[in-house]
Amino acid sequence: MNEHALWLGYQVVGAALVALGIVGFLARRNLIVMFLAVEMMLQGVALSLVGWGRYHGTLDGQVLVLFVLTVAACEAALAMALALMLFQRRGHLDTAACFRLHEPGQEAQLVEEVSPEGELEEPEPEPAWPHLPPAGVEPQRDPEQEAYRSHV
Amino acid sequence: MTTWLLVGTVVLGAVALWLLLPRGRKAGRRIGAVLGAVALGMLLGSLPPLGGWFAQGLFWLLAAVTLGSAACAVSFRNPVYCAVWFGLTLFGTAGLLFFQGAQFLGAATIIIYAGAILVTLLFVLMLANPRGQAAYDRRAWEAPLAATVGVVLLGLFSTGFFSTLKAMPEETPAQAAAEKRQPPGKYPVSALGAELFSRHLVAVEVAGTLLLAALAGAVAVVAQHAQREQQEPRPAAPGQPTRPQRELTVR
Amino acid sequence: MFSLDVLLLLVVASPLAAAVVTAALGPRLLRQRSHLPALLAVALSLAAAVGLAWQWAKQLPALPAQEHHAGQATAEHTQEGKHDAAGDHYLGREHVLLLWRWAAVQGAWGTAPFVVDVALRVDTLTCLMLLVVNLVGLLVVIYSVGYMHDDPGYWRYFSYVALFVFSMNMLVSVSNFLLLYVFWEAVGLCSYLLIGFWYQRPAAADAGKKAFLVNRVGDFGFALGVFLLWSALGTLNFHDTVLADGQVAPGVLGQHWLSMPVPYGGAWGSRTAVVVACLLLFVGACGKSAQFPLHVWLPDAMEGPTPVSALIHAATMVTAGVYLVVRAAPMFLVSQSAHLVVAAIGGLTALMAAFIALTQTDLKRVLAYSTVSQLGYMFLALGTASFAGLVAGMFHLFTHAFFKALLFLGAGSVMHAMGGVIDMNRFGGLRRRLPLTYWTFLLGALALAGVAPLAGFWSKDAVLAAVHARALENPLGEGYLYLTLYYVGLIAALMTAFYTFRAVFLTFHGEERIPEEAHGHAHEGPWWMTVPLVLLAVGAAGAGLLGGVVTPWLQHTPSLAFAARLTGTGHHGFHWDVAALSTAMALGGMALAAWFYLAQRELVRSLAETFRAAMLYQLSYGKLFLDEIYTVMVVIPLRVLGWVLFILDQFLIDGLVNLVGHLVRALGGLFRPLQTGLVQFYALAMLLGLLVLLASLLRWPLG
Repeated sequence: MNEHALWLGYQVVGAALVALGIVGFLARRNLIVMFLAVEMMLQGVALSLVGWGRYHGTLDGQVLVLFVLTVAACEAALAMALALMLFQRRGHLDTAACFRLHEPGQEAQLVEEVSPEGELEEPEPEPAWPHLPPAGVEPQRDPEQEAYRSHV
Repeated sequence: MTTWLLVGTVVLGAVALWLLLPRGRKAGRRIGAVLGAVALGMLLGSLPPLGGWFAQGLFWLLAAVTLGSAACAVSFRNPVYCAVWFGLTLFGTAGLLFFQGAQFLGAATIIIYAGAILVTLLFVLMLANPRGQAAYDRRAWEAPLAATVGVVLLGLFSTGFFSTLKAMPEETPAQAAAEKRQPPGKYPVSALGAELFSRHLVAVEVAGTLLLAALAGAVAVVAQHAQREQQEPRPAAPGQPTRPQRELTVR
Repeated sequence: MFSLDVLLLLVVASPLAAAVVTAALGPRLLRQRSHLPALLAVALSLAAAVGLAWQWAKQLPALPAQEHHAGQATAEHTQEGKHDAAGDHYLGREHVLLLWRWAAVQGAWGTAPFVVDVALRVDTLTCLMLLVVNLVGLLVVIYSVGYMHDDPGYWRYFSYVALFVFSMNMLVSVSNFLLLYVFWEAVGLCSYLLIGFWYQRPAAADAGKKAFLVNRVGDFGFALGVFLLWSALGTLNFHDTVLADGQVAPGVLGQHWLSMPVPYGGAWGSRTAVVVACLLLFVGACGKSAQFPLHVWLPDAMEGPTPVSALIHAATMVTAGVYLVVRAAPMFLVSQSAHLVVAAIGGLTALMAAFIALTQTDLKRVLAYSTVSQLGYMFLALGTASFAGLVAGMFHLFTHAFFKALLFLGAGSVMHAMGGVIDMNRFGGLRRRLPLTYWTFLLGALALAGVAPLAGFWSKDAVLAAVHARALENPLGEGYLYLTLYYVGLIAALMTAFYTFRAVFLTFHGEERIPEEAHGHAHEGPWWMTVPLVLLAVGAAGAGLLGGVVTPWLQHTPSLAFAARLTGTGHHGFHWDVAALSTAMALGGMALAAWFYLAQRELVRSLAETFRAAMLYQLSYGKLFLDEIYTVMVVIPLRVLGWVLFILDQFLIDGLVNLVGHLVRALGGLFRPLQTGLVQFYALAMLLGLLVLLASLLRWPLG
C-alpha cells in the first residue's frame, strides 16, 4: 500500500473532521451540540495522530489517542454536569443569549433581533404520542416541583 | 492538488455548508446536500491512490460515511438527531481506525465514545429537552462566517499537507525501520498494551487518577447545586417557569 | 588687652547670640524681660566697637601732610603704612580676619575658579560705621523697652532687632561682595519683619511687602553688578589674598590694583564695563537707600514701630547704600561717568523729597521724606567723585544718624503720649505737656535745618562745599551740572528748614489739642524713653565738632586713600561763602515756617488754595503720584500676565493632561467591542488568528 497516500488520506480526513467540528461549534447555539462539535474535532485529531503513528511505524500515535480519549471522557462527564446545572439555572441552552460577561456598552444582540433571514421555519410538529393507560402506581407528583421545572 | 481544485473545493464546501446550516428556513437544504456531496467527492478524489482497489474503495466508503454523517450532525435542527448522526460518525471513525490497524483504538472509540460519551450527551439532551423545538436550534449564529472560516481552515491544512507530501522522502520511516526490526506483531493489541504499561506507565496511572477526579467532580457539582437549591427556594411562583433575562421566542 | 580679631568677632557675634537666645527663650521664659539679651548684647557690641576703634587708632600711622593729585608725589614716608609701587602715595591700612572658606569651585571652560572666603575686615570706614550702628542701636533698644512695653510681641521685637544689629554689623565688616550681598538681603529681611511687626494690620503687612519688593528690584541690579565684577576681575574679595606660593590674588579694592599707575590695569577691558558695573551697584544702593525711583517704600515703612523707623530707616539700614558707594569708590572714580548719575539722582531726590514733605500731615511721614532728602544729599556728595565729597557724604551720614534718630524717637514719644495718633491735624501745642520731648525735638530740628554750631550745619556745609568745589574745578562741561546741583542743594536746604519747623510748630506750638485716644495719659514716657532722647540730643549737638577727627580718620581706608591720591584731599579751611548761603537758607526757611504756622495760620489756608489751583499742592500731597504710576506701569500688567498664565494653565496645560487621559480611554474604546460576552465570538476571533498564523507559516513551503 502506498504509505504516503495513506498518510495523506488520514491527514485530510482528520482535517476535514476538525473543520466540520469548527463549523458546528461556531454555528450552532445549542450548548450540547456545540460540545458535540468539539468531540468531533477530537475525533479528527485522533485520526490524524494515528496516521502519523502509522507513518513512523511506532505505537506512539495510538498511545496519544488513547490518552486523548481518556481526557475526552473526563471532560464529557464534567461538561454534561455543568450543562445540566446551567439549564436548571437559566431554563435554556442557548449560548448566544448568555453574554453577561461583556464590557459596558458592548452587549451582543440576540440573533433573533438581527438576523435578516426572515421568518423562522415552523418546527416539526410533535408526533402524536399514544395515550397509554397508566401501568402500575403512578409516582408521587410534586406539583410545586412540576411547576418549578421550567417549561420553555 | 492544483490550486484551482483546492479553491473550487473550498468554495463549494463553504456554499454547501452555508446552505445546510440551520438558517431559519427550509429552502436550499437539498441543493446544499448535493453541493456538499460534490465537494466531498472532489476532496476525496484529489487524494493519491492507495494501491489496491479494495483498499481504495474501503477507504473511500469509510471516509464518505464519516464526513457525510459529520456534516449531518452539524446541520440538523433537532439536537437528538445531531447526536445520532454523530454516533454514525463515530462508527465511521472506528472503521477508519480499524483500517489503520489500530484495532484496540477502534473498539475503544465505539465503547467509550459511542457507548459512554454519546449516551451521556443524550441523557442531558433529554433532561434539557425543550417542549417544542427551541428557536436556538433552528437558527445558526453567523452561518456564512462559520462556514467560510471552517472550510478555509481545511483548505490551508490541505495545502500544508500536500506541500509536506512533496517534501517527504521516498521511503517512510516505517518502511525503513521495518527492515531493521520486527514489524508490529500479529496481535498489535498486546503490543499496544506492552507499550502502554512499560514506557507510558506513569501517564496511564495519571490518566486513571484524572478519571477518578472527573467522576468526583461531576458528582460534587451536581450535589452542590442541589444543596443550594434546597436552601434558597427559587423566587419563581408555581406555574411561572424560570425565564432567562431576555425574552426568547420558543416556537 | 583683647586682640583685634576677638573684638571684631565680639561685635559681630553677640547680637546674633542675643537674637537666638531671645527667640528660643523669649516666649516662655523671658517674657517681659526679653529685652535683656538684646540690651546686653548691643551694649557689649558697642563696647567692643569702641575698643576696636581705639586699638585700630593706635595702630594707624601718621598721614602724609598733603596728598596732591597723582603726579605730584609727596616726600613723606612713614614706617607702617603701605605704599604704592613708587613708594610715594599712602594706600590706607586694613586688617583682614579670615574665618573660613565658604566655597571653592574649579573654573570651567576658561572661567576663573570661584572662591568665596568668609572674611571680616577692620579699617577706619568699618570702625566708623560700627560705632554709628551700635551706638544708635543701643539707644533705640533702650528706648524700645519703654515704647514696646505692653506689646504682646515683646520678645519677637527684640529678637528681630538683635538680628538686625547683627546683620548690619556684618554688612559693614565683611570683605567680600558676595557676603555683602548676603547681609544686604539680611537687613532687608529684618526690615520686612520689623515693618510688618504688627502683621495683623493689613497696612503694615502691605508696607512690609512693598519694602521687600522694591528692595528686590534694587537687589537685582546689585546682583548683576556683582556678576559683572566677578566676570571682569575674577574675584569678589575686597582685599588681596596672599596664596601659598607667595603669589598675590588681587582683591577688587585691594592694594594690588589700586596702587597701579592705571588703576585696575587693563582688567576692566573696556570703559563701558566699569560704568555698567558701577551703575548696577548704584541701582542696589538706590533700592536700599530709597533714592528716586525706588524711594516709594520708605514712607510706607512708617507703619512699623517708631523705634524701628529710627534705627533702620533713619540711621543704619538706609545708609547701607551710601556705605556701598563709598566702599566701591575706586570703581566710581575710574569710571568717569557713573558718578555723574549718582550726583544727579542724589540731587533730584533731595529736591523731590523735600517738595513732598512740605504738605504731609503725618509727622512720621514728614521725617521719612526728610530722610530720603538727606540721603539724596549724601549721594550728591558722593557723586562729586572727589575725596572731599566722599568724606563729606560719610560725615553727613554720621551726623544725620544722630539727629534723625533723635527726631524719630521724639515723634515716637509724641505718638506714645497721644495714644497712637500721629496725624498733626489732630493734636497741637504739646510743648507744655511734653517739655523734654519738645526741647530735644527742637534741637534735632535745628540740627536738621543746619543751624550752627549743631551737627547738621557742619556736615551739610561740607557737602555743599564739596559740590561747589567740584563745580569750580571744571567750569565748562560737567561743571554746569554740579553748579546746578549746588543750587538745588541750597533750595532743598531752604525747604528742609521750612518743613521741619512747620512740623515743630504744628506739633508743639499753637493751642493745645489732645485727641481722644490719649485717654488722659498725655505725658512724657518712662525714663527708658527719655534718656536716649537726651543722649541723642547731646550727639546731635556735638557730633559736628568731630569733623576734624573724622575726615583724616577716614583717609586711612584704602578706598578713600585711593580717592585722596587721585583727587587730592581738597581745600582745607572753612568755606565762608557756602556757610553763609546755607545758614541764610536755613534761617529763611525757619522764618517762613514761623510766619505761616506761628502767626498767620489763615494765610496758610489761602496759600494752600492758591497752590491747589496751581496743582502744586496736590502734587506735593499726593507724593508726586509715583505710587499710582507704579501701579499702572508695573502692578497691573503683572496682574494681567498672571491672569493670562492662569488661563493658559487651565486650558492648555490641563487640557493637554486631560487629552492624554482621553487618548488612553479612546484607545481602550477601540478594543472594547471585542468583549461581547459571546463564547462563539471569542472562538471566531481565535480561529481567525489561527488562520492568519497558518497562512503566514505556509508561505514557506509555497514559496
